Amino acid sequence: MSDSEAQKRWRTSRAPLGDRSNYKKVWEAQSGDGDLAALAVAGHTDEATLELTARGTIDMLKSTVGIGANDVILEIGCGIGRVGLPLSRECLHWVGTDISSGMLRHAAARLASRPNTTLVELSTVGLQEFPADSFDLVYCTIVFMHLLEWDRFRYVEEAFRILRPGGRCYVDNFTVDTETGWRIFMESYGYPIDRRPAHISMSSSREELRTYLARAGFEDVRVHDLPNGLIAATGRKPEAP
Amino acid sequence: MSTEGTPDPRIAALQSELEAVKRREAEYRVTMVKEFLDRGERNTYLHVLREERAALIRREQEASADLEILTRKIEDAEARIASLEAQLQAAPAPKGRWGKAAAPAPAARPTVPGAPFTYYLHTSPFRIYRDQAFTLRGWAWPEDGRPLTAVRVDVDGKLYPGRTGIAEPEVVARYGARANSPNPGFEITFETPAGRHAFSLEAQLAGEEWRSVMRTTIWCEPRAQ
Repeated sequence: MSDSEAQKRWRTSRAPLGDRSNYKKVWEAQSGDGDLAALAVAGHTDEATLELTARGTIDMLKSTVGIGANDVILEIGCGIGRVGLPLSRECLHWVGTDISSGMLRHAAARLASRPNTTLVELSTVGLQEFPADSFDLVYCTIVFMHLLEWDRFRYVEEAFRILRPGGRCYVDNFTVDTETGWRIFMESYGYPIDRRPAHISMSSSREELRTYLARAGFEDVRVHDLPNGLIAATGRKPEAP
Repeated sequence: MSTEGTPDPRIAALQSELEAVKRREAEYRVTMVKEFLDRGERNTYLHVLREERAALIRREQEASADLEILTRKIEDAEARIASLEAQLQAAPAPKGRWGKAAAPAPAARPTVPGAPFTYYLHTSPFRIYRDQAFTLRGWAWPEDGRPLTAVRVDVDGKLYPGRTGIAEPEVVARYGARANSPNPGFEITFETPAGRHAFSLEAQLAGEEWRSVMRTTIWCEPRAQ
């Protein structure tokens, strides 16, 4: 499938804004084939660009929360496993979660050669499929923009629960006070009011992300300006008393 | 004591040991997560779908069982009717309304003898047949251990050969593999012309004799094309 064909299919696969909370429906509809899925979750379809952007994400994780060879890592909204494929080479075990089984099917194909990976379909918003105190790092990248605020916080709360004491959390989004963020904002601004799609990108503020992490119980909460124009919030789950 | 710039071998050994402990602890957590996922499937959407599928299959099986009971009752009633008619035929010629013969039962072709089978039919034959043809799917094991080499359906004497050797992994997983019938599945497509017919599902054992797996009466009321 050519990129333009994928773009066309992506446009026609959009659900209306009223379905925004129905994440399973919205993202299953965009997981029909590999190119459509890649375009929906990453914005491009070619493997070289996917690898390049994944390396960029890993570099951001390294510079903000660090990655260790013994880390057990969970990604919220892993999509086609863009980040998981290279990241699984640098940690003990990587768990990819997504609300779309279709996306996970593509991820499974991409990760077939990586035995230290597990893919889990989330039944709904949250990480109820996982036990408490299990992971060293939980991260969520290029996902919050597609979620409503309550669901963003739900994932932060859940990340806190499943992280081991001392475990790290990373979430990111765009913000309107950067050039990149403003560009993304204006792209969405161009939609006619009655044709805004369910997955339309919505920004976060630094205070919003900082508040989520602090309210969830994280300590050492920091907000980072990332080289790609996004902002990230990180925190650490307190060590057990 | 270590000299600046030269790592103390004891400290290096301790650090290595600490790393090994951290790794074992992390591996334990990975195992714990996997075990939790295995047990926790009960809470997942996938599990809900599986439960719903199993419930639908159970309902279909119950409905088929009810239809089988009803069919068997009708067959018993027909047998009693035939018996009474035979008595009437033997009696002096009746008059009045008793003189009119009832509609004949389906022509009973000499059937092959029965034999005990362990079998299950995925597509139950106990139904009203609405299409021009029907495909019967199931699996069967002759209880005497001989291989099942062919299957067919007999509808009022017309024979419809089927296909055998279809894999049934769930059956094998549940009952164990049978050396003579590693793939006990079969399917047979037969025509279902309008009317009532004598139906027999038959299997050939070890390439030799044919035996009936089950018999019944079927009713076909195909929809207008």
